[in-house]
Formats: sequence, structure tokens, C-alpha cells
Amino acid sequence: MKGYRKYFTKKIVWFLITLFVAMVLNFVLPRLMPSDPVAAITGKMAGQTTDTAAVQEIYSRFEEEFGTNKPMIVQFLIFLRNLFKGDLGTSFSQYPRKVSDIISSSIGWTLALQIPAIIVGWIIGNVLGAVAAYKKKGWDKIVMPVTMFISNIPAFGSAVILLYLFAVKWKVAPVAGGYAFDMIPNFSWAFVKSVIEHYQLPFWSIVLISIGGQAIGMRSMSIYELNADYVKYSRFLGIRDGKIVGYVFRNAMLPQVTGLAMSIGGSVSGALVAEIIFSYPGIGSTMYAAVTAADYPLISACTLIITIMVLIATLSLDIIYGFIDPRVKAAQFDA
Amino acid sequence: MKKISKLIALLLAAFMVCGLLAGCSGSGSADNATSTPTEASQATEESKTEETPAATEESKAEETPAATEESTPAETTGDVTDLPRNETLYFGGLQWGTVNAWNPIGANQNNFAIAGSPQGSRTVMFETLYMYDFLSGKLYPLLADGDYTWNDDMTELTFKIKEAAKWSDGTPVTAADVAKTFEASVAIGNGTGTTYGAYIDSIEADGLTGVIKLAKTEEGGPKNPLLAIDYLTGVYVAQAAWIDTMMARNNNDPVACLNDKAEDVPYSGPYGRLYDDDQKLVLVRNDNYWGQDASMWGSLPVPKYLAHAMYADNAATETAFKAGQIDVNQQFLPNIQNLWLKDGLPISTFYDEEPYGVCLTMPTAWYNMNIPVLKENPALRKAIAMAVDYPSIIANAMTNQSPSFEDVPRSLMNPTEGEQALYDHDAVKDLQWAGNDIEGAKALLDEAGIVDTDGDGYREWNGEKISLNACCPNGWSDWQAAMEIVAAAGENIGIEITTLYPEWSIYQTVFTMHDQTEYQIFMYSPSAASPSNPWMRCMMFMSSSFVGIDNNWSGNWGQYVNEEADEILNKIPTISDEAELKAAYTRLTEIYLTEVPSFSLMYRPAAFDAVNETVWTNFPSADDGRNITPYNCVSGYAIRALYELELVD
Repeated sequence: MKGYRKYFTKKIVWFLITLFVAMVLNFVLPRLMPSDPVAAITGKMAGQTTDTAAVQEIYSRFEEEFGTNKPMIVQFLIFLRNLFKGDLGTSFSQYPRKVSDIISSSIGWTLALQIPAIIVGWIIGNVLGAVAAYKKKGWDKIVMPVTMFISNIPAFGSAVILLYLFAVKWKVAPVAGGYAFDMIPNFSWAFVKSVIEHYQLPFWSIVLISIGGQAIGMRSMSIYELNADYVKYSRFLGIRDGKIVGYVFRNAMLPQVTGLAMSIGGSVSGALVAEIIFSYPGIGSTMYAAVTAADYPLISACTLIITIMVLIATLSLDIIYGFIDPRVKAAQFDA
Repeated sequence: MKKISKLIALLLAAFMVCGLLAGCSGSGSADNATSTPTEASQATEESKTEETPAATEESKAEETPAATEESTPAETTGDVTDLPRNETLYFGGLQWGTVNAWNPIGANQNNFAIAGSPQGSRTVMFETLYMYDFLSGKLYPLLADGDYTWNDDMTELTFKIKEAAKWSDGTPVTAADVAKTFEASVAIGNGTGTTYGAYIDSIEADGLTGVIKLAKTEEGGPKNPLLAIDYLTGVYVAQAAWIDTMMARNNNDPVACLNDKAEDVPYSGPYGRLYDDDQKLVLVRNDNYWGQDASMWGSLPVPKYLAHAMYADNAATETAFKAGQIDVNQQFLPNIQNLWLKDGLPISTFYDEEPYGVCLTMPTAWYNMNIPVLKENPALRKAIAMAVDYPSIIANAMTNQSPSFEDVPRSLMNPTEGEQALYDHDAVKDLQWAGNDIEGAKALLDEAGIVDTDGDGYREWNGEKISLNACCPNGWSDWQAAMEIVAAAGENIGIEITTLYPEWSIYQTVFTMHDQTEYQIFMYSPSAASPSNPWMRCMMFMSSSFVGIDNNWSGNWGQYVNEEADEILNKIPTISDEAELKAAYTRLTEIYLTEVPSFSLMYRPAAFDAVNETVWTNFPSADDGRNITPYNCVSGYAIRALYELELVD
């Protein structure tokens, strides 16, 4: 038990150190951009005024409100203080909306789209990779290359192709949005059906591009495992193929599980391409717009959430590995 | 494995449910979908007002059960789940993100329903005193009753409010509302306060009559009567009682007042808020709208709902427009004529031939006078401008959705007939250029002594090679194409010009700084149209009052100074004699075309306006004889179109 405690403590300490460093970077990096978002708000407020003194007054007021006239370290301390109070600040680009309001309205859509898509892509990819490695022949020579080809079409291109074929040409899928353009959200079957219909193209655009990477990884691992001594020995013992494939699959899966956890951790960053091409709501396009508008508070909040999700995924993996993989456990305990 | 499969299935199902929940609730907020006690009481008040004698004929019909259900928007909207296509007019290109607020005197509006501008305010929810028609330059009364009047020395403008005008809560609109709106705007420092605070002393109210008292010069004359007229078309009237409530709940703190979301705000326009989230904004018609009175429109607008879905970008908007999911689209579509000529879609524009829309503004390349070679050499400035291939810009960047500079010779005026009549064309004829004049430009440079002395193909000034950059924001594709053509023009006359396309967030920071030298030839558009134009645009092109100021969004970004131009610009707002005004604008144009502190690259609509007539028809067109402004059916006098729309089927 002592070994476990030491192992977990070490991991959590590193988690906290990484989190702090990431928070500093999340805060500082956007502010190094050579742009002044306060000037943008001032411009929108001032309109076409010819009274230049009044414009300066507006600028000073917003500088004060956002604290951009204070030294960076003071701004950071204010950011930390507000963060502990759950206040992520006010957005520059969507002023006067609160950052927390913007994120809460988009993150649900992103998670609901990304996580099932990542899991489905992961399952299909892994099954395909394992089958290709084991069956070879047509699977390895036709199905795998075709999947690889589809997966390697740039995400932007494949999404546009899906949109053109299914929405524009064949008109079997909607062109944009998270639900029908002529509906107002409500708890009815028609609305549920509409959400599911709008879900299809963005979902499959993510699944299609994630299959290839998973399949090739799984295929390599499976081929390696299939040539391992324990497989040959099992065959000598006359153990049936299905049982052997089960062993192989489990051993080859370990690195793939890491990949899955990391993907889920990073899912909060959003499916930018899918969100833009299909005008699907989510945090990806929110973050993209924030970056182009130099919206520091929104960028910092988005990257902070992504950082935390990835760190939690990594920490969880470390902890789970500590239990399930004796090799990891032994290495950590020895260290 | 079976357990894992079950777990995964459960997870997937859970996330799908999350998606549905996000869809059903999200950040969406229906004004009336969930009835709060306040809303309920408001609804009751609205019902009561219908019993007053002032109620129109329509209120009589409300005695039937069906009509009673429709008697207040609050009761109606709670049940709305679908927007019947034949009752809904869909817009595109006017709302690009979740609505920030509903505050007509707030800050940083991004709301489709709230866009106050002298050029043509969107009056679907909040209303202005007058509506501007940029086709004729006329002002049409909206909340105002008849024409406004000036006193003898043009220091006071008197207007009257229509007796029929009412707020959505049934109370009458009065001049006190106009006065309070101005007073509060100055107090909290919103856009209205900033723009007009220095030029309007006060607005005084007496019942339905209001007097705008202009700030005076030292000589006792009005500071700027043109801006007072801009005020009439560009500033919404908010309800005085609501302003008091809003300011009180924010302890009169200006920032808090600017940030107030104003979800309880009463409005005087024909539509109110029904639903909005991060994908959609829907307004619903107020069937008790005062404007159905004979003193205004005499009827309700035809569409029951106005809706705007939020698309990620231009491409998504275009796809939806072609699919008939958008009826009115404010978006630049290259080669728009192909939509009806080649694709056979029921899409049309105001003009059925080039330039398809009414061009009001002139995207312009500004010379940076902080760069000595540009400041000291008007010949260099003119030579570059003369060498630019404008027909290519208009044909390629604008796909001919702009008149050419041969059709509308360059000046300080936009292409509308009204503005073109404001200067003497013959007097400046010799100073104008239509572009692509490489030999003329070279001769001008040679004459000015700007020549290539070291034989490298590029000209020098004071012994140094002239090397400039041409900039505009990244992703503004038509502007980028124009800048490439400017760079090519430089190459043709021996001036090195390279292009630079920073992101907008950086671009806007730099070009609004008075001492910047990073951008040497850079693009931005001056004012398009309004009662104060072309004076406002001339100020933007030439007034030195904007020189030396940081965060300058007002104009003259190139820091050009000309004392004679300043004198004329200061005088114009008080000139009432037409001949004198024409002489003043002609002289300004002469100075501008001689000195070339900037040069326009194309003409462009203030707003693009294409319509898909799959569901609705009878949109304004140039030859229909109705003279309705082609401004997306919602801005300025364009809103009249909503009262004349017809269903295709």
C-alpha cells in the first residue's frame, strides 16, 4: 500500500505542477499577440463619431473594465482570484457576455458530438486493424487501404464532400445547424428526430477520419503480437483461434487505450472542421473565433478547460495503469 | 468484452441524450416560453390595454376564443415549436453569433433586431423618429408625425410624435422618451452619447412635441445641424420608464447599464423577441403593433415571424440560401447572376443587371503620411493610383457588382444620383483617372524626379529605393485581390509594393494608431450613406481633426493635413444655399484629386441584398415603381417591404 501511496502522490504532485505551468502559459501566450481587443470594442462603440475626445474616454473606460492597463502580473493575479470564484471573465469579442455563459452554451454540443464519434471511430478502427492483421488477404489488401485513403483525406475536404453529396446533391441530410432551421427546441419526437438527423453528417465526418489512424496502429500491434512466442506456443497447444485472437487483442489494446483516453481528454477542443462546415454548434468554432479576435479571456478559458481535461485523462491513465499493468507498477515502485 | 460493450453503449446513449438536452435547452431563452411571474403580469397588462377606446378594429376580433389566444405575444409564443414556412421570413448574413443583449442603449450590439445607424436603422423591434431612404435621400416619419422643422438660426429642431405610437406594454410613446434616451445615452456614454453628445446640448419634451437643442459655436451658430438629422434616423427611442428602472437596478453605474441584457425591455416596433440561442434568433409579430394605425402603415407586416439562423461562415450561408432556407441574404456572392442564369434558382437582386445592388461606399486605399516618401510626394501617390487596373478589381474582386470608374468618375461622392449632383463634374474632369494609365503614371514620376538611377528596375527617392507594402485584413478576399492589383501596378511603374495580410484583430489595432508606420498603403471603407453624407465621408477622407489620435475610428487614417480642406469641411454643415454647397464640394474634390491622400478601389453596396423567392415574393426591385429601399427589408425605409410581401403559393 505504501508503494501505491508514493506512486499516486508523485503523480498528483506532477499533475498540479503541470496544471500551474499550463495556466500561466494559457494566460500569458494569448496576451503576447500584437493586437488590442479593447480598440476593437471601442471602434464598435464609437461608430462614426467625429468627437475624438469621447472615443478616448470610451477606450480608457474599457481598459479599466478589462484591466488591460494593469501590469501583466497584476492581471494574472486578478485572473487567478476570479478563477477561484468561478468567474472566467467577460468576453471581448462577444462583450458583454460572460465567458462562462459562452462556454456552458457550447460545450454540451461538443461533448455530445465528439465523444461518441471518437469511441465509435476507435472501435471500428481497432476491430478493422485487428481483423486485417489476422485475416490478411482482402481485408489487408483492399479494406485497409480504402479506409486509410478515406481517413487521410483532409478533414476539411471530407466534410465538404459529405455536405455536398448528402445535403446539397441528394438532399437526404440537412445543410446546417444542430436542429432544423424551422424549429424551436422542445421536447417532442419531431425535435428529437431533427437533432438526430443534424447529428449524422458531423458525426460521420469525425468517425471516418479517425478510423484509419486507429486501424493502422492496431494492425501493427496485432502483427507484432501475432508473432510473439506466446501465440506460437498457444497454437502448438492447439488452443482455438478465437481464444488466441482474444489474447492478442487484449495485449495489442493497451497502447490503443492510451490513445483513446488522450483523444477523449482533447475532445473539448472541439471538432472545428465539423462545426464550421456544418455550422454545428460547439466550442471549437467558439475558440477559433476567440483566437482570430484576440479574445484573451475566452481563449484562456477554453485552453484551460482543454488542459484540465487532458491532464485528468493522463492522470487517470497513470493511476489505472498503476493497477492494471504490472510492468508499469513495478517500474514505478522501483524508481 | 460484453461488459465493456454495454458500458460503451450506455456512454454513447448518455452523450446522445446530452446532445438532445443541449438542443432542447442549451443557452436558449424564449422570451415567453417559460412564463415568469413578471411576464405573466406584463401579459395581463397588455390584455387590459386592449380594452381602451384607442384599440383598433383588430382588437374587436379578439373576443373570439381563437383571437383571445393571440391577444398577447406572451401567450402565443409559449406554444411555438415550429415556424411555419409560409409565416416566417428567414434572413442570412445579419447575425453571426449568439445575441449579446436586447438593450437599445447598451454596448456592442450584435443583435439582428438592434442595429441603429443613420444610414438605416433596423426598426423591427425598436424604432427611430424617421426612416432614411438612401435611394432618394428622403426621411420618412416613423415615430415622428410629419416633417421636422428648424428655427431660423438652425439651432433648434422641432419634431412631433404620432399620437398612435405605443410601446409593447400599451403605454404611449412621448417626446419624454426621446429626451430620456438622449440624456441616459450621454450619462452612460454609449455610442449615441459619444457620437452626438458634443453636438446636441439637450432634447426638451412637452407631451408629444420635442425640441433638439444643438450645441453652439462661439459665434452662436449651430455646431453641426447635419448630425442632428443623423440623430433622427440613427438613434432608437427607448422607453423612459424602462430606462429609469434599468438604471436604478444598476445603481446608475455606466458600465453596468451598458452591459445590462435588457430582457425586460418594452419596444415600439412590430416584432418582439420570441426565442434565441447560439443557433437561432426568432422574432414574433406583435399583433397589437401601433403601426397598423392609419397614421402609419395601416396594416401589420406580413410575416408573422422573422428568423435568423447562425451560420458558421459565408459558405454555409450560401448553401442555406441556395437551398431556400434563407429568403433575404446580406452576403457578397461572387458572380451572383449565375444563381439564376446557370443554376435556375428563384434568386434575384434589386437590379437584374450589373451592378445588381445599390453601391454606396468606396473601399479605399489610404496612403500613410507617416512615411516620408508618401507624405512628400503627391506625384507618387497619384502615379500609383493612376496605374492601378480598376477594371480588373471590379471584374475579379467584385465580379462586376460595382459601377466602373468610367461610369462613375472618382470623386468624394458615392454613386447615387443625389450625391453625384453635389459637385461640378466638368470642373474636376481633368483631375480624374479611370486607371491602368501606366505611361501617364511613369511620366508623372519622371517629371517629379522620382526615377530609377541605379538601373535595378525600381525608382529611388533621395537616393533610396522606394519600397512600400499594401495591406488589408486576412481573409477579406475581395480586398486582398484588390491589394494584389495595387502591388502589380507598383511593379508596372517601377515602385516595389509587397502585400501584407494580417489578421483583423491585429490590423484594426495597428491602422487606428496615429503614429504607425507598419502599414503604408492600407484599406478601409469610409462612411456609406446617411443624412450627414457626403460631408461625413469627406471628413473621413480629409479632416485633420482626426490626426494624431490613437484608437482613431473616425477617419483620415493616413494622417493627411490640408488647412483649406479643413476650413471647407468646418463650413459645410451650416451651408444651406445649394450653389454654395456645390461649390464647396467641388473645391474639396479638386483638392482630393490633386493631393490624392487616398484612392478608392471600387464601389460597393453598404449591404448586399439578394432574395430567394421560393416562398416569399414581391421584394423591392428597381423597376417596380415602389421606390422601396433595397436594404434587407429591415433597415431604414426598407422595412416597408415587410408590409408588401406576398406568398408565392
